[in-house]
Amino acid sequence: MQKDDKNIRIDNLLDETLKTPPGFLLSENFAEKVADKMRRSFVWRQYVKEFFVYLATITGVVAIFILMAFFWIEADWQKWQTFALNNQSWIIGLNIIGLFVLFADRVLLRFFFFRFSRHEIN
Amino acid sequence: MNDAELVQQIIAGNDNAFRYLVAKHQRLVLHVVGRIVKQQEDVEDICQEVFFKVFRKLGKFRGESRLSTWIATIAYNTSISHIRRYERVSELPEDVDDRLMQGNSDNWQAAKMVEKGEAKKILLEMIEKLPVQYRTVLTLFHLEEFSYKEVEEITGMPEGTIKSYLSRARKLLKEKLEKRIELEKTNIFADYAER
Repeated sequence: MQKDDKNIRIDNLLDETLKTPPGFLLSENFAEKVADKMRRSFVWRQYVKEFFVYLATITGVVAIFILMAFFWIEADWQKWQTFALNNQSWIIGLNIIGLFVLFADRVLLRFFFFRFSRHEIN
Repeated sequence: MNDAELVQQIIAGNDNAFRYLVAKHQRLVLHVVGRIVKQQEDVEDICQEVFFKVFRKLGKFRGESRLSTWIATIAYNTSISHIRRYERVSELPEDVDDRLMQGNSDNWQAAKMVEKGEAKKILLEMIEKLPVQYRTVLTLFHLEEFSYKEVEEITGMPEGTIKSYLSRARKLLKEKLEKRIELEKTNIFADYAER
């Protein structure tokens, strides 16, 4: 009888303890911090996605322009190739600058302003 | 706001909705991660990682289970990956009995005059010394009140294994507690006598 009673008491204690939250703690503003990081990550990915959309559009337009030049104006392929090979450093350099300007305009500056505005709000 | 609406809001970029989701589920994630990962200094970082994954994978959430079950699955997998990387996963070592009994002798000295709160504290310490699988199922089933089916979904363990882990963990804790009572010749259940 006493043993049963003891058993019941141990069971009660076990049940209660198993439902007791362990003493682990997170920082007070955990949700705030995580949500803020997510927001930044979301915005960054959004801007990068937009950058690639712009890049694809510009590349597409240039490609169409070149194709039109070949088919309609019957441009001389050899001449274009020689011109490109002779000025390849200029062409590569201008492309890199163009890419950087587009990336800075569509991603870096916007992200910088986004963070700055969040900082101002906070 | 139900789970589906909340998910839609977050996917649309509503950071308040995500903040709400984190606040709502941070306790669950903390308990799952905290019980699996031993290094308490890593717990907050892993919890953050869990919510990063939740955010990234949210588009794949089909609503076939509760959102909390889905989040707990991510928390469980992230914690298990962490301990596989940095700790050795205990496979119910033979000395589990000793580990449970070893305890902190200071605590046990104090247990001579234990009250209800201290008895709980001792039991909580014993739970922390159980193998990771036991700790996990105890936390999910008792603390977070998931069903067997949900625990199975979260951990990938078969229902039979879960039931067996639960009963073995309980039996082990009970035995050790009884041994301690005998050892110290104390009545730490005085507060439970009238229940």
